[in-house]
Amino acid sequence: MIKGHPIHRFAITLVITAMLSIVVNTALAQYPERDITIVIPYNSGGGFDSYVRALAPRLEEHLPRTVNVLPQNTPGAGGRRGTTTVYRARPDGYTIGAFNLPGVLIPQLEEMNIGYDLAQVTWLATLGDDPYVYAVNADSPIRSLAELRQAGQTIYYSATGPGSTSYIATTIVNEVLGIRYEIVTGYTGSSAYILGVIRGDVDAALVNLSAARPYIRSGDLRVLALFGAASDDSAVPDAAALGAPELGRLKLVRMIGGPPGLPAPVRQTLEAALLAALADPGFTAWLKASGNELSPAGAEATAQAVRDMSAFYESFKHLLN
Amino acid sequence: MFNVLVQAGSDFLALQTLFFLFAGVLVGLVFGVIPGLGGTTALAILLPLTFGMRVIDAFAMCGGIMGAVAMGGSISAILLNAPGTAPSAATCLDGYPLARQGRAAEAIGAVATASPLGGLFGMLTLLLVFPIARDIVLLFGPPEFFLLAVFGLVSIAVADAANLLRGLIVAGVGLMLSFVGYDAVNGGVRFTLGSDYLWDGIPLVPALVGLFGMAEMIALSIQGGTVAADASAARFDGVTAGMRATLRHWRVVIRGSVIGTIIGAVPGVGGTVATFIAYSTTKKADRHPETFGTGRIEGVIAPEAANNAKDSGALLPTLAFGIPGSAEMAVFLGILVLHGLQPGPAMFVDHQREIYGLVIALTVAAVLASIIGLIFVRRLALITKVPGGILAPTVIAISLVGTFAIESRPGDVILAAVFGVLGYLMMRFDYPRLPLVIALVLGETAERGFHQSMIIGRGDWSVFVSSPTSIVLAALIFLSLFWSVIPRLMQRSAANRTGSSS
Repeated sequence: MIKGHPIHRFAITLVITAMLSIVVNTALAQYPERDITIVIPYNSGGGFDSYVRALAPRLEEHLPRTVNVLPQNTPGAGGRRGTTTVYRARPDGYTIGAFNLPGVLIPQLEEMNIGYDLAQVTWLATLGDDPYVYAVNADSPIRSLAELRQAGQTIYYSATGPGSTSYIATTIVNEVLGIRYEIVTGYTGSSAYILGVIRGDVDAALVNLSAARPYIRSGDLRVLALFGAASDDSAVPDAAALGAPELGRLKLVRMIGGPPGLPAPVRQTLEAALLAALADPGFTAWLKASGNELSPAGAEATAQAVRDMSAFYESFKHLLN
Repeated sequence: MFNVLVQAGSDFLALQTLFFLFAGVLVGLVFGVIPGLGGTTALAILLPLTFGMRVIDAFAMCGGIMGAVAMGGSISAILLNAPGTAPSAATCLDGYPLARQGRAAEAIGAVATASPLGGLFGMLTLLLVFPIARDIVLLFGPPEFFLLAVFGLVSIAVADAANLLRGLIVAGVGLMLSFVGYDAVNGGVRFTLGSDYLWDGIPLVPALVGLFGMAEMIALSIQGGTVAADASAARFDGVTAGMRATLRHWRVVIRGSVIGTIIGAVPGVGGTVATFIAYSTTKKADRHPETFGTGRIEGVIAPEAANNAKDSGALLPTLAFGIPGSAEMAVFLGILVLHGLQPGPAMFVDHQREIYGLVIALTVAAVLASIIGLIFVRRLALITKVPGGILAPTVIAISLVGTFAIESRPGDVILAAVFGVLGYLMMRFDYPRLPLVIALVLGETAERGFHQSMIIGRGDWSVFVSSPTSIVLAALIFLSLFWSVIPRLMQRSAANRTGSSS
């Protein structure tokens, strides 16, 4: 086929090989070439669901090529089914997922039989943090946590099931601050256990700020402390002011990640597009209207946050069971 | 209030909004008719589409779906004994016997009248109580949830006088089935046989599809023949008779609507229980309760009025506290958030106009769905004349596809098949199926409410009679037991005494 001296033939082969690899490389660089699925591990209609659905069209705009970004609900087993789906997907960048931490982290620490290891996930971006507030009924006689720590009375809290994020946050805060506590479990979600405080079923609850904010504004709830963010209100102490800086790590974090071993170019493309989408004025306007908060971070920071969070909950492992 | 209502009404005069309302009604009807699919699925599928719409258009479409689903679901309940949606299950009890007698058109005529009347009643009540929505939701805490669940379970016990023991056995099995899965009070999973699928418990919709729809089709294919026992005698001209019957039984309509509105507003209890309690209350109040289940038109009217009234009730906790009153409302909540509307205390103040718009959409949709249903009633009733050999495989296939479509879980299909066989065996050996459904729905609420109440009450039982609401509920439970079961037991012991002395 190729005429001439063997050396020439070899040279030509080399050139063809080089050209081919460029073609292959360009093909990879052309990611994405088909639709991308984002797995949401909850039912359609939840808070996390709307968050991802509002983000998806913005993400489409910021990808280098025009493809659809399709949110797919895979609910079940408290978010573990969807997380496992992403974990087992082919690492080609066409299946990524939304992760709710520490919700899917805790079963892993409890060494339950789950199908994923969060340390292996290819982290892409953080959407936002949601700090916890220590909330009581606005009419409650309890004025401050300092008072509670001295009084020694047992405080009743509302929470979802044992092992849930709200239950574990409640346990950790009370153990660290040395408050006697009893947790009424079984509420169906954050709205339901907020209602438990407003109705007077219990004395207090640890609630993520985005869920509590409307009720703080309406004067139904009063905040005694803020965990997971620095407080700018002198009347509301944060973890440092309470003398328990480790509680500053208590927060919910919404993250986006892909299966283990996602190729670097794909990861970079997705990370850049996600960060651009999160900064998109259309998306930030939606966030403001719906009362969500944003604190975006890139792939490296997200992976570090997951490691930090694992270490934090690992140190409270004796309380988890 | 009136001004806002007029404003909200005028929003609907836009051609575009009417179009979305009508589209919603059509989607709702179709999703309602197919067993397995329902309002929840329809809303979930259309949720992404609403993203680009104006809020009022999105609400028109959602209202259209939710208002029309009940009509669709009841059509399959009457014609096939396969409730298209879970709350329509109660309509099977007398609707299907009517269809077997060739009176399907009459039953559908009654549905088409009772549904919009119930919807209208729910809407008017809702508009009246909006200012105190918050206080109403706050009336129900764990002790009240427990008592309400017990009230639902007690109504199973007293509903079927002849079959009391069998009803209780089935309800007991239903309670055990309701405990399958993750236990949200104590943590840990129960009775899942090691399967991840059962972690979230036994899903209601596939169970219902099997228990009613598939079981009926198995029976039909074994017996042969058609749904209408005598195909040649099936009459399709009873529509007006059904409509007149509804108007004549206006008391039944009002009772059903009141029950639907109240129970619809209680989260976790929801539509299926509302329609069933409407049915059993009507039966108890009747002079001849034993004739229910053989094709009494009142047995169709009461649950249908409740079925449409419950949506207005379910809006209260959804909008006031972001706690969905029903499965449909859970998805609707997502649509609210997607449009930047945050449910909560400020909702009724900031978005009054949109809320009234939604309520209007719900009501108009119920009327529209009825009109469409009435137009097609003659054609639809023909289904009862289709031979079982053709009908059964078709319905089973559609039901299974519908079941799979909900969450694409193969486990749902297997579960529906298992419950189909179970349902057929229960029919065959004359065990009532509704107690199973009610216990399946209420078991978790009862258990959770009990546990939570005992912790909240520091272990003291008086927690169950410590609020006016709980005292009223406890009294209701006591009364319904006293009026129906105790006289019967006394009669029986008196009969035994005379029997032994003679």
